[in-house]
Amino acid sequence: MDQSASSLTRRDMLKLGGAALAATTAGIGPLAAQPAAAQTPKRGGTFRLRSHVPPVHFDPQQTIAFSTMIPLSLAYSRLVKVKAGSAVVPGTQPIEGDLAESWERQGDNIYVFKLKKGVRWHNKAPLNGRELTAEDVRYSYDRFLTIKGNANKYILEMVDKVEAPDRYTVKFTLREPNAWFVDRLASTSTWVIAKECVDQYGDLKKPESVVGTGPWMLKSYEPNVRISFVRNPSYFVPGLPYADGVEIILSQDPAAGFAAFLSGEFDFGPEYGMVIRRSDLDIALRRVKGLGMRDYIVVFGGYTAMKIDQEPFKDVRVRRAFAMTDNWREVLETNAWSQGKGAPNPLIPAALKDWSIPIDQLPAEGRKLYEFDPAGAKRLLAEAGHPNGLKVPIETTPGYGPDWMDAVQVALRNWKSAGIEVDLKLKEYGAFVSSALFGKFEKMILTLRGGTTDPDTYFTLFLPGEPLNSSGVNDPKLTEMIKLQRRTFDDKKRREILYDIQRYASQQVYYGFGVSVSAVGAWMPYVKNFGPNIGHDYGGRLMVAWLDK
Amino acid sequence: MKRYVFRRLFVAIPSLLIASLIVFSLPRLLPGDVVQLMLEEKAYGKDLDDLRVKLGLNRPMYIQYVEWLGQILRGDLGQSLWTSRPVLEELTRRLPVSLELGVLALFFAIVIAVPIGVLAAVRQDSPADYAMRSMAILGLSVPGFWIATLAILLPAIWWGWSPPIQFTAFSANPWAHVAQFLLPAFILGIASAAAIMRLTRGTLLEVLRQDYVRTAWSKGLRERVVVLKHSLKNALIPVITVLGIQVAQILGGTVIFESIFGLPGMGRFLFDAINQRDYPVIQGVNLLIVTVVVVTNLVVDAFYAFLDPRIRY
Repeated sequence: MDQSASSLTRRDMLKLGGAALAATTAGIGPLAAQPAAAQTPKRGGTFRLRSHVPPVHFDPQQTIAFSTMIPLSLAYSRLVKVKAGSAVVPGTQPIEGDLAESWERQGDNIYVFKLKKGVRWHNKAPLNGRELTAEDVRYSYDRFLTIKGNANKYILEMVDKVEAPDRYTVKFTLREPNAWFVDRLASTSTWVIAKECVDQYGDLKKPESVVGTGPWMLKSYEPNVRISFVRNPSYFVPGLPYADGVEIILSQDPAAGFAAFLSGEFDFGPEYGMVIRRSDLDIALRRVKGLGMRDYIVVFGGYTAMKIDQEPFKDVRVRRAFAMTDNWREVLETNAWSQGKGAPNPLIPAALKDWSIPIDQLPAEGRKLYEFDPAGAKRLLAEAGHPNGLKVPIETTPGYGPDWMDAVQVALRNWKSAGIEVDLKLKEYGAFVSSALFGKFEKMILTLRGGTTDPDTYFTLFLPGEPLNSSGVNDPKLTEMIKLQRRTFDDKKRREILYDIQRYASQQVYYGFGVSVSAVGAWMPYVKNFGPNIGHDYGGRLMVAWLDK
Repeated sequence: MKRYVFRRLFVAIPSLLIASLIVFSLPRLLPGDVVQLMLEEKAYGKDLDDLRVKLGLNRPMYIQYVEWLGQILRGDLGQSLWTSRPVLEELTRRLPVSLELGVLALFFAIVIAVPIGVLAAVRQDSPADYAMRSMAILGLSVPGFWIATLAILLPAIWWGWSPPIQFTAFSANPWAHVAQFLLPAFILGIASAAAIMRLTRGTLLEVLRQDYVRTAWSKGLRERVVVLKHSLKNALIPVITVLGIQVAQILGGTVIFESIFGLPGMGRFLFDAINQRDYPVIQGVNLLIVTVVVVTNLVVDAFYAFLDPRIRY
């Protein structure tokens, strides 16, 4: 039970993914971080990092944009959070209390959280440092669930009601059991907000309305220039954070970002996730002596959706033939982020290492689809009545970036080797994401997924009635398995069900899943106790890190 | 002269009207529906029809156009569909940055191009002329964004130094503020400089072959006087016309350069708006660019008339 849901603007994150297409696991890879536990933390200094996208606004309940959630992770708290630090293995999401001192499940549907005492809001108007109470938490989740336009509502859709029986107790009653509930509370969108700010400003979109209980306080926002934070002197965790401030520099150009990193203007890798491209690694190592690094698999990966109720994809043999000619190794080798390093994805992205099934544990039928075999694909197509191959229109968008289009070219060439001719239709990005992802396409699309760190969210592609079920899957057996895992609280048993789901899905090929790259989290040698991870919780990761210079 | 300027002003009005029609219609012809995009983000409306009504996009296009024109005449460029912020307010904040970059780029273009063009003409077919013409061809053929990327990356790789990519306001540090524009403006000005240099050289060569210039030489005037006083003024007339066109090119170039150098001008604003199909923003920015280009050309025409009085009649 250690996965947290996350909240991104799907469009933005998929764009990022286009660049960062594929990658795996690595947990402890060749570039492993050095634990800093033995070192004495130092107070002071300002972390400087880059974001290539400005925040949409600052109301976490009115957007799913990662560019909003990242800065808010510095200023707000939630009930539980993902543990951070150099000892945490990237791709794992261990949960610990944030505002919650402790919590317990009562029966299947009730969760009771005891709050830490003495937590104070930032000493800014209109809160002026008053104590946080259970009523604040109740208000936050009530607004989260009822405010019109909260695209993240689905994260806590299982909640029936939230109550504050006393000053330090919060009680959640769920409509139905959901084993992912606590993990979802650790999402970087479920921030505890202040009613006074909503009352004063109407919503929380303005930067001055950012008053939280987090480790840093928002000092200023210069649109398209920078977001500055200062240390919260009355943060409720004694001694934390170590750094006096955080500066997020808004800089769009990746080359300029990397140059600034080399010249010491940023303390962390300049790309999303505080990473650098593997193709830039040599230069970075030459210029920055003692560069801190750790590689990990990103969540993003390509996938194909098909009209499975139509010819030729009605026939599972055709779907398998497509999968067998997807040469994921070649995709990784031609990608600047991975340069050969990464992992193929089953249904649950390999990055979520606690829940993603290793490919070698798939049944033979599913496993062999990960081996590039054009001859086998030709045989399957012949068996399915296409001895001379077939021609299929495929849609994608160049809007995911040049790395994505490189991967598309590799796929097209390999399909051709099995006699699959592709009529490639490039659609403008905006048009593509607003139609194709929702099933409005002719036969097949090539696209990206990723961004969320909760395995359960990846099942939405398979549930009837879900807008993102673009292949139109309606498989009662699969649906029942997905529902069953939500009712299973035992992590081990749930993992088994998740594995079964992935085994089953690997053979059906309702979607074809591409690879994910292995990215390199990087930080300056004077940054200590920093551990990169998937998700947007920059605040959590920076809070426990310090500057030793 | 006054009559001439008024006549040009009068012609500028239909130009602006036609431009406004194009600026209004083109974004709507782009594939991709802003209403669908906004609905995908889910935070803006309950369904397509509801959102279309909310945004006022349910009415016929000509009515939307007329309303928009009315707004403009009242000095209101509308609000962003996504953020609800007034477009004019955003432009007021960003326009000075783009203008500063554009004006500096134009300054560099002129300062580089005219002297070199003159020198190349005067030393026609000399090694210096060939070298300068080759440089001009290079300046024209190498994309500015590529030079900009190299100018940022190479010093960082070689010496661990990169030009500033964090914007500094004039009030915070005037020198740093101006300094951050120098490199992007210089690179942005290079392509224009190349075009202007070639034109300056060509037109000056033509003028230098005129009878009155020959007369000047035969009077025994010094080369400096013949070239700079008697020839250059006439040679510059077409160059000034081209400068008006270069303004549009430079303004277009700011879109990329602002992104590369982290300058919070109109370029990034326009880029995001196009991606999001934010019609009022696209219209507002483009109308402003069109207006700047029209006004610049008006000024150029006036200056043209000043240099060559025959044009006024």
